[in-house]
Amino acid sequence: MAAAESPSAALRRRDLCSRGIRLAGKMRADVADLLDAYVEQQGLDASASVAAVEGVPLAAVERWDEQTGTQRLLENLAAYRAFRALLAQMLEEQREQLGEADAGLGRALAAVLLQVSAFAYHLEELLRLESRGIPGEEEEEEEEDGPPPPPRLSLFEQKLRGLGVLRELAQWAVRSVRDLRQLAKPSPATGAAPGLAESP
Amino acid sequence: MPSSLDTDLLSPKPNPVLENPRSEQRGLDKQPRRTTQTFMRSWGHPKDSGLVESSFPLGNSPGLCLSCLWEGKRLPAGGRCGSQPRGEMANPVPSACCVVLAAVVVVYAQRHSQQDSHTQYERVGADVTMKCGSMDWDAAVTWTANGTDIDESHLNGSYLILKNVDLSQSGQYSCYEGSSWHLKYQTTLRVGTPPKEPVLMCRSNNYPKGFYCSWHLPTPTYIPNTFNISVIHGTKDMVCEKDAVPKNRCHIRYIQLFSTVKYKVTLTVTNALGKNFTTLTFDEFAIVKPDPPESVVAKPVPNNPRRLEVSWQNPSSWPDPDSFPLKFFLRYRPLILDQWQHVELSDGTSHTITDAYAGKEYIIQVAAKDNDIGTWSDWSVAVHATPWTEEPKHLTTEAQITETTSASTSSFMAPPTTKICDKGAVVGSGAMAVCWTAGLVMAAYSALFI
Repeated sequence: MAAAESPSAALRRRDLCSRGIRLAGKMRADVADLLDAYVEQQGLDASASVAAVEGVPLAAVERWDEQTGTQRLLENLAAYRAFRALLAQMLEEQREQLGEADAGLGRALAAVLLQVSAFAYHLEELLRLESRGIPGEEEEEEEEDGPPPPPRLSLFEQKLRGLGVLRELAQWAVRSVRDLRQLAKPSPATGAAPGLAESP
Repeated sequence: MPSSLDTDLLSPKPNPVLENPRSEQRGLDKQPRRTTQTFMRSWGHPKDSGLVESSFPLGNSPGLCLSCLWEGKRLPAGGRCGSQPRGEMANPVPSACCVVLAAVVVVYAQRHSQQDSHTQYERVGADVTMKCGSMDWDAAVTWTANGTDIDESHLNGSYLILKNVDLSQSGQYSCYEGSSWHLKYQTTLRVGTPPKEPVLMCRSNNYPKGFYCSWHLPTPTYIPNTFNISVIHGTKDMVCEKDAVPKNRCHIRYIQLFSTVKYKVTLTVTNALGKNFTTLTFDEFAIVKPDPPESVVAKPVPNNPRRLEVSWQNPSSWPDPDSFPLKFFLRYRPLILDQWQHVELSDGTSHTITDAYAGKEYIIQVAAKDNDIGTWSDWSVAVHATPWTEEPKHLTTEAQITETTSASTSSFMAPPTTKICDKGAVVGSGAMAVCWTAGLVMAAYSALFI
């Protein structure tokens, strides 16, 4: 159980939350632009429904308002780590498909990947601040066990998956802003963020 | 039960009171009474009854008649029977007959009321043929519309033919047998149209609690319509709870937030002449639109002739502005100009306008939007305000001259004429001309002293 927060820790947390909110806001704007460019250049229909893709973390959540601070941080961190890997894969596929033909899209993808990595790191900072253990990345565990590589998707399937990834990332960016705002709220009793003191 | 009773019930005999039903009954809702009256006539004279139809008041219920029959009493003019004297044993034979009588009355009334409640819906422009119940084609009948005889030219035998009906022809149509004037058939004709595609709108003004959908028809159908709404989120059906007020609205609570799965809302409208539907598909963020800000107030700032302080409140329908903050858009202009100035404000519920034209009345409005998603609200109710102006001094020449010193020190100060002149002065009047002249004089003095 976390003890009552010191004033400096509370200030640091609020500062991290504020910066995180700005990061997420910027990320969301860039993802929205990237999504438009991606749909256009991949020749996709912007209104096309994309089934949930395996490995893409869904932003949808029930009883969002009842989540604790730790839950929010952990879910966000897991999501952005997954997006980091997915975007890296998209970037790789993009380069294989188009080479230098579509450098603009590649650059935009790379920029968003950078922001996603930065945001994941930011979330780790917040977790460290709360003296929470940062969960190891599943990627590392998988590398140790040497799982078989996923089956290669067709070009069209890659494009659809990319659309699904970017859409879900856009939702996460909005959710992260909301989550960080909740975290930034001072708790009336302890002065700590709501939910963080309650988590195991 | 005598079989003749049944026959009488099916085709009641003429009643002297109802010989001329149109003259006696027109304009009055007499059907139940007529039914009872006719029925009593057909019953004839029960053994113990001194009942005479003519003294039978139409207002009496069958129950009262039964009690009078039972007692073997004549109904007084007032129509109410006395109660059975105590200790007196009821005659079992009339009692049994009374029970039968009551049952028959109920059945007949029901059959008659079923006739009365028949409604027929027809499209505008349709040709309508009405049959006079079970009457033969060649039977002599009279048709009425809302109690007014219909000309025989509209009849084809006993059928009523209405060509190219319009809305004004809605009403109650009755068919009477020629000689007996017995009502043989009655219907309410409702002329209308099948529904056009309804207009459906869904909006979340209380995010993240839920959203509501409201609907209306683009053109009236003039007949009753039923609306059914279905909401699907992915594969899940959701319940849209109807609002008591307004009736054409229902609301849904969000179960999930931040979902990329779209909502699909289908509204079906049905009436007796047809059906139509419309479908809306949207995602969670797209329909978020707060209500306009509330309690917008604009005040002058003392000693600042170019400032106006504007404040407002979050719309009361927005449930959690701390977690879901709103940003605002303020627009303002002087009444005398058409061009708006705009300011977007990312936080706070107040703003100071610093570039107002001195002395000019301003109109100000505010709109709100969730910081991250959705669309702008409608504009708030407009408020008016005029920046602070210095109080006008006495209207003497000396006072005006001494004032020019202070007037000339600030380029933002309104010309002295605006302080002196009465706002109510009519443009072009002699008083206004004097004011402007005085203003020019003082402006000249100001230039001298600078």
